[in-house]
Amino acid sequence: MTRRKFIQKLIKAGSAVIVGTWCLVRKATPRKFVRAIRLKKYPGSLRPLRDVRKQSKWSG
Amino acid sequence: MQELTVQCELCPKMCLIEPGQSGECRVRINIDGVLRTVVYGFPCSIHVDPIEKKPLFHFLPSTKILSMATVGCNLHCKNCQNWEISQANPEDSRAVFCPPEKLMELTKQYQCPSLAYTYTDPIIFYEYTYDTAKLARDKGIRSVLVTAGYINAEPWKQLLKYVDAANIDLKGMSDDFYIRVCSGTLKPVQEALVLAKASGIMVEVTNLIIPTLNDKPEQIRELARWVKVNLGGETPLHFSRFFPRYKMRHLPPTSLKTLDMAREIAISEGLHFVYIGNILSKTGQNTYCPVCSSLLIERSGYTILQNWLKEGCCPDCGKEIYGVWK
Repeated sequence: MTRRKFIQKLIKAGSAVIVGTWCLVRKATPRKFVRAIRLKKYPGSLRPLRDVRKQSKWSG
Repeated sequence: MQELTVQCELCPKMCLIEPGQSGECRVRINIDGVLRTVVYGFPCSIHVDPIEKKPLFHFLPSTKILSMATVGCNLHCKNCQNWEISQANPEDSRAVFCPPEKLMELTKQYQCPSLAYTYTDPIIFYEYTYDTAKLARDKGIRSVLVTAGYINAEPWKQLLKYVDAANIDLKGMSDDFYIRVCSGTLKPVQEALVLAKASGIMVEVTNLIIPTLNDKPEQIRELARWVKVNLGGETPLHFSRFFPRYKMRHLPPTSLKTLDMAREIAISEGLHFVYIGNILSKTGQNTYCPVCSSLLIERSGYTILQNWLKEGCCPDCGKEIYGVWK
């Protein structure tokens, strides 16, 4: 192996270690939130408001 | 940025949420490294209930309360009575568009002096609850939480500033019970109860008695003692009847005898206002004066038959009764 090839391999291996560590650090230090931001579109379906006057069947 | 994991610090679960995934509550989602709530302004249920149904017995008795919920819950109680909405995914559900301003209009339209965040758990639609309660305070409408109290201290304190009353579940007195039955833990709930009471809001406590799981006299005594010592003897305690639902269909409903026994134990431990619920009882839903034992409020189910309170006091001995009466 020539010195040039050895240095190239060393740089590649070093880069892989740095990238891998960066990914692990990002996973280990997540962005923290207490409050969530409102999403304006409901992922389910929407229906009209009805039966408000009627007592709920749900507990509570 | 898109691949960032987020951590939701709202409740003690402290969910680590990968991009495109939701927390345990199903409604708080990581979108592009930002925590989003998908249920803000989208309740799945809005109804006018009697306030006694929450149950709240010491807060504006015999008034109507506009009650709302979104889907989702941060606990997964095997006995959940409302599991069809609490354990539903938002994408599989139907909701109405109802921002806080519209809720204010509805309380006015249906002449409700208060608004309840209930049925599932208002903790998981925190931002919606917070903004609505803040707006309600400005409009003179009272806010009531019906919750399991599974929330971290800081957001809880912020929310309590705009809340007038709460019914908080104390489901059992051991971590083991909370872990096995509810997928939660006990300590955060106890802390939430103490913080709520210390904040000055009106607090009532509910304990659902499940046969074979938390119906032993010593378990009930321990719970009553804890309430007395940490929240005060004046704190109303409701023992609710369990019905077999969701993942606990193999257990029988709680008997009236067990509920009566629980009530007697709690009274003997020094609690002044102990009630039984989800069942008709001759005296178990009445309020009596803790000093002279006079009957103050006679109830049958959610109906108030007689209310003898005078300005929140016993008409016979003048004892001031804990609560918000007008």
